[in-house]
Formats: sequence, structure tokens, C-alpha cells
Amino acid sequence: MINVHQLSKSYGDIRAIEGIDFEVSAGEVVGLLGPNGAGKTTTMRILCGCIGASAGEVTIDGQNVSDAPKWVKAQIGYLPEQPPLYETMVVRDYIEFAATIKGVSDPVAAAQKAILQVGLQADVGGRPAADRIIGHLSKGYKQRVGLAQALVHNPRVLVLDEPTSGLDPAQRKEIRDLLVDLAHSGSRTVILSTHVLTEIEAICDRVVIINNGKVVAQDTIDNLRMSGGRVRLQVERDPDQLIEALSQLETVETTEAQDHGVIIVSTSNDSRALIAEAAAPFGLLSIHQEEGLEEIYLRLTGSPE
Amino acid sequence: MRAVLAIAKRELGGFFSTPMGWLCLVGFVVISGFFFALMTSEFSVQATQAAFNPYLDDQVSLNEWLIQPFFANTSVILLMISPAISMRLLAEDRRQRSIELLLSSPISSGQIVLGKYLGAMGFVTAMLTTTLPLMGLLYWWGTPDTGVVMSCYAATWLMAASFIAVGLLTSAMTENQIVALILGFGLLLVLWLLTMANTIIDGPVGEVLSGISMLSHLDQLMKGLLHSSDIFYFVSFIAFFLFATTQRVEAYRWR
Repeated sequence: MINVHQLSKSYGDIRAIEGIDFEVSAGEVVGLLGPNGAGKTTTMRILCGCIGASAGEVTIDGQNVSDAPKWVKAQIGYLPEQPPLYETMVVRDYIEFAATIKGVSDPVAAAQKAILQVGLQADVGGRPAADRIIGHLSKGYKQRVGLAQALVHNPRVLVLDEPTSGLDPAQRKEIRDLLVDLAHSGSRTVILSTHVLTEIEAICDRVVIINNGKVVAQDTIDNLRMSGGRVRLQVERDPDQLIEALSQLETVETTEAQDHGVIIVSTSNDSRALIAEAAAPFGLLSIHQEEGLEEIYLRLTGSPE
Repeated sequence: MRAVLAIAKRELGGFFSTPMGWLCLVGFVVISGFFFALMTSEFSVQATQAAFNPYLDDQVSLNEWLIQPFFANTSVILLMISPAISMRLLAEDRRQRSIELLLSSPISSGQIVLGKYLGAMGFVTAMLTTTLPLMGLLYWWGTPDTGVVMSCYAATWLMAASFIAVGLLTSAMTENQIVALILGFGLLLVLWLLTMANTIIDGPVGEVLSGISMLSHLDQLMKGLLHSSDIFYFVSFIAFFLFATTQRVEAYRWR
């Protein structure tokens, strides 16, 4: 459905992204993961037609964002990291305004639907949040207003840039629950970026990890976990001999002996079967992948642990 | 067009929900009212003196002595206030990132600019209508020439429309509203004062620069002389600045 091909963007001499490639199928929920300045926001802004790419292209159902911007934008609901709000407007008026400029034929009905979808009918200080001035709302509610404007034209694709950033833990949970509902209700395609790995695990089917403007990995979370890293195994006897045997394996990078026959093996890809086979003669007690998503992320992005 | 009108309506509402909008409106009403009172009392003194002087009596003209100078003064007030009206139009959207809503919506940069412009013009028009009761007083006291009153309104409105178009461009050039205000005011002042160019620079250059000045075109309109060249000047002036603003918004997408 969405095809990002060799996407590059430079701001003067600074290369924000370079040769970004990924695809997203209809109904898929994909997380963009990467450190600050990795190029996630730039990729999302190009995808939504807010800015143009220096090279490469983004297509949705074969339509290029730069060739058919109006059609493509009508398919996308975009929530930037800082919600694009007019603080002096009443929530309902703002969402109706967003619906009108997005070409919705009945903005009043569409706004009401979006208000219900994101829970803005809830009572805040004796009045529904939808009837309050945006500037008077908490950050969590402002985020909901931002989500409502992204949803108001019932887009097929939802692009969310760090939707829970800057929220307190309670607000974060509320928005995350809302995102889980939105992502898994209907056949909406969702692309979201976040720093919070638990969010990725809770919401996303697949992850695209971006670092220094390039895609460094993209796969399902399970496959990423199995793609390599550290294996922890325990044997009954002769761990030193096993270490020697493991060193002969091509995929093994380093080995480290610990107490009680525990060995930590670093591998370039999932080699558990090979390691288990090598360890069997030494009385293999247990073997498992030790890396979590966090370790994988840190390893791939080269971020300091 | 629906999107353009929605942006214009939001913009117009925005003026009435910010202190700056009310400050501009109240400031305009107070200053223009003050000038009107001052000029009316001066005119009444001159008219009384003229009543005893048959030579002067022929020359007393409500249109030339009161209405036209009042609208000329109103234009100067607008010159001062317009940059404060237009400074937030695009700069504020960029600063608070609400521009992302507009840029990610299926509308063109031209529609965004036109909507913003019409919204500001709605506010300026509302501001100008506050002078209608003052004109009503003149009709109560005397017999002004309706043609002159209408052409003065048209000229002042076109003038304000030009000011706002310039201010919209400066607002698109920066995220900082104060910078937009200073740039706008400076640019308007230069365009206003260009009329004196032919007194400083001799030859065709001076003439051309003087021709670009708003003031020379405003004078004709204020006198009720509707030359197509003056109308063409203002329309193309506004079109040029709106086009430049659209290009600036496009550049923001592609920078």
C-alpha cells in the first residue's frame, strides 16, 4: 500500500535521511524507531506531503505524493509530535475546521464522530472537553484533539509522530490504549514513531529502525529478537572445551564464561540450533536468546548502553 | 473555495479571540475618532470664519476640507496598524506548528494564502466600518458628496488591502511576529515614501520609483477620480504580494 523508495532529504549541507526504503501493507501497524535526529520525523513529514523529498519517492496505492498531493493527503491523517492546534479555538470548532479543509462533506457530523472516537466527550471541569477552549486543556487532552483532527476525514492511513511524548504516565497509558483501539479497529494502516519500546511492542506488527538517516533494520519484533545478538546457555560439564568448540562456528563472534557452566555467546544471527548441537555433548541444561527489544535497538543504533 | 472560506473564517475569529486583535480595533477606533473630532472642530471654525468672508465662503468644501483629509489620515493610521494585524497570519502558524495541519491537508499553498488574506481583510473591513457612524454625523450636519465618500472608502480599503498583502509576505518570511511587524512596517514605509523619489532622483528612475509609490495613486482615488490605471496598480500590487507569499509558503515545503 505505502511504498517508500530511496527517500532522501537534505537541509542545506545536512543530510537528514538518505536512501530510506520500506513498505507498509494495508492494515499493518508499523513502528518507526530511532534515536533523536535519526530522520523519523523528516520521513513522516515527507510521507504526509508537508515537505518535499530531495530524492526518492513515496507512493500510496501507486500514487506519488508529489504528483497527486491532494489525493494522497486525503488518504492520510497526520499527528505531528507537537499537535497542530489553535489554542484560542474551541475544540469542536477546531475539529470542524480541520474537517472542512480536509474536504469532508459534512464537517459537523465528522467532527462529532471524531470527538467520540478519541473520548473528547468526557467531562472536564463540569463541561465536555469538546466544548472547551483548546488552550485550557491538559496535555493529554490536547493530544486527543490532535488525534481527532488526524482522524476526522476517516483516513486510510494514520501517521503519528511520537504520540505519547511529553505526557505523564497516566496520560501516556490513556493515549496508548486509545492507539491500540485505533490501530486494531478496522483496516486502518498506522505508522507511528516513538522512543518507548513497550509501546512498539504493544501496538506494532512490525518495526523499521532508522539511525543516522538510514534504515538499519526492519522486521517483525519476533524476527528481530531472533535475528542475532546474545545467547545464554548452561552446560553440565567442561564449559572451557565448549567455548573452544563454539569459537569454530562461523556465526559466533565472542564467548564469555560465567559461573556454574553459564556461557554468554554473541552471534551475528540466530544460531541457537547450531550452538545447541555443539553444546549437547557437554550436557546442555538450557539455552535462550538473551536480548530484549531494547538491547537490539541499542545495538543497531549504536546508542550507549 | 470552501477550504479558503474556512481558513478565512478561522482567521477572522482568531482576531477577535486575541488581545492583539482587540488592541488594533480599539486603537483604530480611538485614533480615527480623535482625528475626526479634531478635524471637525477645525472645519467648523473655518466654516464660521468663511461665513463672514464672501471670498472664502465659495471655497469652503466639506469634501476637500474634511472628508478627504480624514481618509488620508485614516490611511496613515492603517499604515501603522496593518503590520500589527498581518504579523501573526503565517508567523504564528509556523511558530506553534499549526502550519502542519494546513500543509498536510489536501489544499494548495495558494488556498492557504488566500484564506489568510481574506480573513485579515474581513477584520480590516470590520475596522473600517467603525467609521460609518462618523460619516453618518456628517450627513446629519451637512451634505457631503456621496460619490466622494464612497471613493474615499474604496481608496482606503484598497490601500489597506495592499498593506495587508505586504504584511502577509513578511509574516511568511519568519516565525517571529515582531520581526514580521518590523519588516512589514519598514517595507510599507519605503513604498509609501517612494512618492518623493522624483524630488531626490532626477530622470526616468525617479519617475518610475515615484510611480510605484502608493501615495500618488491614492491621491487620485481620494478625489473621486476612478482611473483604471490606479485600480490596476492596486490590484496588481496585491496580486504580486499574494503570489510572492504563495511562493514563500511553497519554499517552506521545499527548503
